[in-house]
Amino acid sequence: MPILPILKYPHPILKKLCHRVEKIDQSIHGLIQDLMDTMHDGPGSVGVAAPQIGVTLRVCVVDVSKNRHGKENNHGLLRMINPEITSRSGSATMREGCMSVPDYTGDVDRATNITVRFTTPDEAEHAIDASGFEAVAIQHEMDHLDGVLFLDRVTSIKTGLFRRKNY
Amino acid sequence: MTHQSETVHYAVSVVGKDRPGIVAAITEGLFNLGCNIADSSCTMLAGEFAMILIVSLKKPFSKARLIEELKPVCDRIGMSLGVRTLHPDEIARQESDGEICMISVYGADQPGIVYRVTRELAARSVNITDLNTKLIGTEEEPVYVLMLEVALPDGVTAEAVEQTLVALKKELDVEIGVRVITPVAF
Repeated sequence: MPILPILKYPHPILKKLCHRVEKIDQSIHGLIQDLMDTMHDGPGSVGVAAPQIGVTLRVCVVDVSKNRHGKENNHGLLRMINPEITSRSGSATMREGCMSVPDYTGDVDRATNITVRFTTPDEAEHAIDASGFEAVAIQHEMDHLDGVLFLDRVTSIKTGLFRRKNY
Repeated sequence: MTHQSETVHYAVSVVGKDRPGIVAAITEGLFNLGCNIADSSCTMLAGEFAMILIVSLKKPFSKARLIEELKPVCDRIGMSLGVRTLHPDEIARQESDGEICMISVYGADQPGIVYRVTRELAARSVNITDLNTKLIGTEEEPVYVLMLEVALPDGVTAEAVEQTLVALKKELDVEIGVRVITPVAF
């Protein structure tokens, strides 16, 4: 099971819209295994999306259970095929970074509560309510499936705490 | 990108009354020299626009040549110019393994807020990576806001830093909060 290199921007695949998976066959099982192996290899990695390893399919894995922000509130290992967010509420800002955009971090606003529907590798339709850090991780990974990087969502430069007054 | 040993770095600062076109004018001058802008930060402070840029140029290049190009531009748009040659040791990024924290300090304006807070931090080797201050409120009741982004020494917690600021918080009668903002890499 190969651990694959994480593609880094400006690799063009990272800005592509990924295709839906139409049939869950051996290649999809292999892809999910590769994503898991690659995630577990990354130091502190909590998720990997297929385009990050060069595959333009709507598949990602998320596991925040070992992260200090997520260990209290999570669904363990999530293997998501064709995930869709069906509801979102709340908003919180978190400083994010991404293995595909090294050496840069920025504040990103994301929903704090989401319902996400997806197909599991054994072809079951599944829906979960995720919140907090896990919800952020899922939204970050799902953005990759739409060719969206956190850089596209940064809401402030540095602190960004001040709305400038006119003098 | 050229290899570091083939380049010379300068810290350039430009400050003056804000108006549209400052960045374009300065960066045109830099572009004409074949200059790379590495890290930079530009912001408006009161009515002033302040630019700080770390720029690099292919060797051989002289500080005098950089000033010769930028000075007339700055004079034309009423900006002051500062240029300093950087030693190669200065360019390397300082990485810390410690937590990154946001420290917010706010309360009634009074002399010495920045000094008193940063003195406490310096004594504990807390490194300030970004600092913002702003005078808000009304003329009758001016409120001072100080926001610091800091890198803690490895092993030091945000709670420990907050604890060291408790006495100061009481003495100055200001709010002081410390929260971890260490980025999460997905």
